[in-house]
Amino acid sequence: MEHDGISRRNFLKTVGLTTALAASGTIPSVLYAGERKLVRFPGKTELLLLTSSPPQLETPLSYFKELVTPNEALFVRWHLANIPTEVDLASWRLNIHGTVNKPVSFRFDELKKFEKVSYTAVIQCAGNGRSFFNPPVFGGQWLNGAMGNVTWGGVRLKDVLQQAGIRAGASDVIFKGLDKAVLPTTPGFLKSLPLDKALEDDIIIAYEMNGTELPLLNGFPVRLVVPGWYATYWVKSLSDIEVTTQTTQNFWMKTAYRIPDTPCGCVEPGGTPKKTVPINRMTTRSLMISPENGSTLRSGQSTELMGVAFSGGYSVKEVLVSVDGGLSWAPARLGKDLGRYSWIQWFYPWQPTRKGTYTVMVKATNSIGESQPMTALWNPSGYLLNPVEKHTLAVV
Amino acid sequence: MRNRRTLPGFMLIFCVTLILADLTGAAMTTTRSITLPEPSITLKEGPGMDATRRYCSICHSLDYITTQQIFNKSRWQAEVTKMITVYGAPIPANDAKVIADYIAAHYGN
Repeated sequence: MEHDGISRRNFLKTVGLTTALAASGTIPSVLYAGERKLVRFPGKTELLLLTSSPPQLETPLSYFKELVTPNEALFVRWHLANIPTEVDLASWRLNIHGTVNKPVSFRFDELKKFEKVSYTAVIQCAGNGRSFFNPPVFGGQWLNGAMGNVTWGGVRLKDVLQQAGIRAGASDVIFKGLDKAVLPTTPGFLKSLPLDKALEDDIIIAYEMNGTELPLLNGFPVRLVVPGWYATYWVKSLSDIEVTTQTTQNFWMKTAYRIPDTPCGCVEPGGTPKKTVPINRMTTRSLMISPENGSTLRSGQSTELMGVAFSGGYSVKEVLVSVDGGLSWAPARLGKDLGRYSWIQWFYPWQPTRKGTYTVMVKATNSIGESQPMTALWNPSGYLLNPVEKHTLAVV
Repeated sequence: MRNRRTLPGFMLIFCVTLILADLTGAAMTTTRSITLPEPSITLKEGPGMDATRRYCSICHSLDYITTQQIFNKSRWQAEVTKMITVYGAPIPANDAKVIADYIAAHYGN
């Protein structure tokens, strides 16, 4: 069985080494890939360090016991090392230009005069869980902490674009932030959305996370929020919006952040896709947060398994739990529903009486029938990871 | 009796003043700034370590190397080539080979 020969490295990775280390206060001097130490960056609590420049920090899974992720605990991911470490709202502007009737520029206070929209939505890095890919792939070796559930407040992108007036022939909208590459030879980070997608009601320019301003490391003063889609589109410290008549040829759209153009977004493990498309909507996922993988429980003692489930913009309809390695499944109770973009908590009371090792599995299905594969699908960039999670619990 | 009344009254005014000062301060501050911690990763000693540190850390901290999975030499060569051709890293060809060899030897297989 899969969990029978877990190497030390994989064991530590799955069980959440750092949580254990943080508790014991010891951080090993030699860190294996997949092992992480806790660090505190400005405006953030102690997060798992992936890389320090550009900063990539992930959230310890224990924070996901909460329905909403605190601002200071939300993951951090920048692409280019010259990130904005200082922003002065007196000089900051959001510029809208390109194929528009009238280029416009908004101060922060002007932007906030548009009608305010607020909702809770999962933000998840496209490569969340990449470290679990087999065969492994290059890229940030995230565990499962490059995600969070945040209540965003902001103004509709559509309303802001309409102030500039979109001209006939426009097809795409390009978004740029304040971050810059170190070298002039490195492609600047930008993302684009097809115009019809950009004009959807729910896409906002967010100036609030959970009711307060964004931490600089999460994109102060405003970031794009594209609920249901991977966070690569949620451009941080947004400062420039260009309406254009053609699809961008920039590296970050044309080469990076692409998935195989197949129904599953996957190819056979180790394979090469014939054709790719830009990554877009998130796959359906469920995670077990408590008890942690590898925990030991007492026989006869009642416990409650819990975790979170979400999908790319379509409410989670059902979460099934198996405590016998997938032989039988039973529905979990779902928690408070904060809307189709939010994750939902699931709870499953359990009182194991037989001593031994249990393989506990969890599987979510959304309102349009999208679910999770029993074994992980594969693509060469390490995106879309969403297999049914298998946790090993010992009952003694 | 008099003392009991005056003390809370004084404290109330003091607190209100503090709150007002705080609100005014927040409204007047238009700048947010942070100082990032310095990267602290050190690479394993070995031939090519200097070149690896010198060139790779131009654009990113060295934990970009140390947190990767175990990849073989040809995968690391391809990765270094990608840094040059895609991201524009100014690495001369001979140094690129030294760097890929070093990483594969110390962090790959």
